[in-house]
Amino acid sequence: MNRQSRALLSVLLLGLVAFMGWRWWSSQQDHADQATQIVFSDASTRGGVLTSSLRSEPRTFNRWVDRNFPPELISQITQSKLIRINRSTQEVEPALAQSWTASPDNQTFTLTLRDAAWSDGTPFTSADVLFTFKAVYDPKVNSVLASSLQVGGQPLAVTAPDAHTVVIKYPGPFGPGIAMLDNLPIAPKHKLEAALTAGTFAQAWGVATPVNELVSLGPFVLSRYEPGQRLVFDRNPHYWNKDASGAALPNLDQLILEVVPDQNAELVRLQAGQIDMLQQQVRPEDIATLRPLENQGKVKLLELGVGTDPDLFFFNLRPERWAKDPRGSWMARKQFRQAISHAVDREAFANTVFLGAGVPIWGPITPGNQKWFSPNVPRYGFSIDKAKQLLAGLGLANRDADEWLEDEKGTEARFTLLTYRGNSSLERGSAVLREDLRPLGIAVDVVALEQGALTERLVKGDFEAIAFFFSSSNLDPAMNPDFWLSSGSGHIWNIGQATPATEWEKQIDELMRKMTSGTNQAQRKQDFDQVQKIFAENLPVIYFVAPRMYMGVSSRVGSMSPTILRPQLLWSADTLTVRATGATGQEGR
Amino acid sequence: MGRYLLRRLGFALLLVLTVSSASLLLTHMAPGDITSDQSLTLDPAARARLRAELGLDRPLAVQYVTWLGGVAQLDFGRSLLYARPVSSLVGERALNTAVLAGVALLLATFIGLPLGIYSGSQSRGVGRAVVRVLSIVALSVPPLIGSLALVFLAARTGWLPVGGMTSAAGMDSTWAQWLADLARHLPIPALALALPLAATLERLQSQAIEKAVHEPFVAASRARGLDQVQAVIRHAWPVSLRSVLGLYGVMIGALFSGSFVVEVVTSWPGLGRLMYDALKARDLYLVAGCAASGAFFLAAGTLLADVLLAFADPRVRSEEAR
Repeated sequence: MNRQSRALLSVLLLGLVAFMGWRWWSSQQDHADQATQIVFSDASTRGGVLTSSLRSEPRTFNRWVDRNFPPELISQITQSKLIRINRSTQEVEPALAQSWTASPDNQTFTLTLRDAAWSDGTPFTSADVLFTFKAVYDPKVNSVLASSLQVGGQPLAVTAPDAHTVVIKYPGPFGPGIAMLDNLPIAPKHKLEAALTAGTFAQAWGVATPVNELVSLGPFVLSRYEPGQRLVFDRNPHYWNKDASGAALPNLDQLILEVVPDQNAELVRLQAGQIDMLQQQVRPEDIATLRPLENQGKVKLLELGVGTDPDLFFFNLRPERWAKDPRGSWMARKQFRQAISHAVDREAFANTVFLGAGVPIWGPITPGNQKWFSPNVPRYGFSIDKAKQLLAGLGLANRDADEWLEDEKGTEARFTLLTYRGNSSLERGSAVLREDLRPLGIAVDVVALEQGALTERLVKGDFEAIAFFFSSSNLDPAMNPDFWLSSGSGHIWNIGQATPATEWEKQIDELMRKMTSGTNQAQRKQDFDQVQKIFAENLPVIYFVAPRMYMGVSSRVGSMSPTILRPQLLWSADTLTVRATGATGQEGR
Repeated sequence: MGRYLLRRLGFALLLVLTVSSASLLLTHMAPGDITSDQSLTLDPAARARLRAELGLDRPLAVQYVTWLGGVAQLDFGRSLLYARPVSSLVGERALNTAVLAGVALLLATFIGLPLGIYSGSQSRGVGRAVVRVLSIVALSVPPLIGSLALVFLAARTGWLPVGGMTSAAGMDSTWAQWLADLARHLPIPALALALPLAATLERLQSQAIEKAVHEPFVAASRARGLDQVQAVIRHAWPVSLRSVLGLYGVMIGALFSGSFVVEVVTSWPGLGRLMYDALKARDLYLVAGCAASGAFFLAAGTLLADVLLAFADPRVRSEEAR
């Protein structure tokens, strides 16, 4: 061995000794941490710290002006509403309003507010409710909640006879009734009135706001925000809710949202015991990874049921888009969409895209939405022959030597499909669709775009077809009029029509207005079943598969009420508990 | 030297201005703006009001000139995404990135250069072959896979935290505890960044040393009685540094402007992630601010490398003097 080799060997040995020493020191630290943990969360159902992941950071803490998921989740944790819809049972429950009465026409609600206080000790009163409605309806605020608190385009009239009573009068009949108020977290007048007066409400409660300004009526209060890293929420000592035994909620001492932008890293952190739950459902490809941990009792894999927000596929049905395009004569016809529906084997689609964890669907309402789902809709199931017949009926045939169909003018049956970059189910689904349409002679060019670019093109109508997803926070279709009504901003295939462009859209508009204003629930369901039939026949949006949803959560988490709507577990953060025994070296505890 | 430094400073300012302006203009040209993701939920009138409030309804030239006026006073505008001054956002994240980049640079240097000197000064042997193979592997693994592999290793062994910069208890601890906590979080992202760079340095240093050891002055030093190691370290290495230091400038710029992949996978709150979030949201001013920061570090890195080179290689000093 020469001198250089001996020197190299010495360096390696020194490195090894240093590493072993460091490992020993680290293990001592871990033991010390664990010893602290056991004392810290000794109680089995009260106290302790729960850590969840958050994939993207909040841009603002102002839920009234931002519809994105982070402020929505933070609002669930830190704010309260007058009533709330129990995400598990879909029933309306008292919240800040401890009781209410409805007028015979179900248009005027008199709510009795409970004795509650903001996290800084300021009493909650009807003035806060009046202030919140004023802020949401102020045009300068541009509140994203304004349209969800209107009936027939008109705002609600809100008055307060005294500090503990609020009277809310709807401008017309509204089927979901008081459930509409689940859309509105109450804002603190004593903290935000100055901003509203100054016309700066939309900028208030930005991420740079000192956390002691962000008062809470919910179970937790934000105690620390470390940008790019985490949000730490402490128990709100003034929270109004109590458990069945009368003990004050929440059960947890602290709730931490760790910012983990990458979904793979998020899963690894759950496996390593460094977070207790994922922000949202487990991807189908990750289920197999978590099964062994479930068998070892480290992780629970909760099956939530069939998702209610399936991926969707639609063509541009704006007449002006196809006015000068020869493909418009067949691409905007319902027979073309029916042929595409026939061309896709939904079972195979579920197996390929969702690795078997999905069910075939025929319309926007999935079996996961038990109350509103109708199985009796037209189905254009897998049949290549029927697809070919429909295409032939549109004049599409292979008129040259290539593999693609052409119309009578020789225009190739080809379209561009836009989808979200980075969304694995949409990207895989688009690829499957391209391959399924190839045997029919229809060429699909798939283009993946960033979310902002795709949404912009959708709104401007600058697209041929899009594979997309929507996320809803309410299962009652009447609460989602923008999608169903032809005038709606979420009527994605032909947004914001002045008058319905087609007869079937006119029929849906009429039925939706009827079911939205109806108070007889059976009649509302019957009307909506009819809407689903018309929709499934005309297929403005084609649905293939709804995924089965799973949540991955540490086995130390208890008292959960999982739901298919997001946030699947944290919607009931006040009742969640953690055990100390399952903790596996979770840092920071 | 003073004139040289002034010239380089001018070049740095021009680079920062060009890169940030180009970023702003290109982001503006991309489809959509910061309000796009609300376009399905806001009615067109409300969206138009929002765009007007943010100043996005003004012509591009007006927006650009206004922004440029601010930049002249070192004000890079307000982030449309976070409603905060760009400079404070970039400052916070640049500090986090600098911690990570500094450690990664040291690791890459202390791993890559000695191994490169070793492998370059050996004409054959098992050690040289092993170093070469390891370098090629480290160079071939894409950053995403390398980062995920290290994160997975940390998760499986439980030796180190899987991600983040500090633990949740960090803010309540003393400075010493906070530093120890930071030190436990650093190895995974720092190694993810450092390993490919170390491999690059090793390859470059190895080739440069191989060439330098055949120079006549190295042979002359051996003839004067220096042993192989001393001849390499004292005479061949300083000369070989010229090509290595040339890479340092680019490396410092790349490291200190933030690595998006490593920062996302290891949840490190740095500039790379901020830039990505800004790009996704079409936050013009934040994109420009992040790009300016990257350009600044690139210029500073190049300058630093040039100064180091001038110290290391006498021929460079004499060229500058002329």
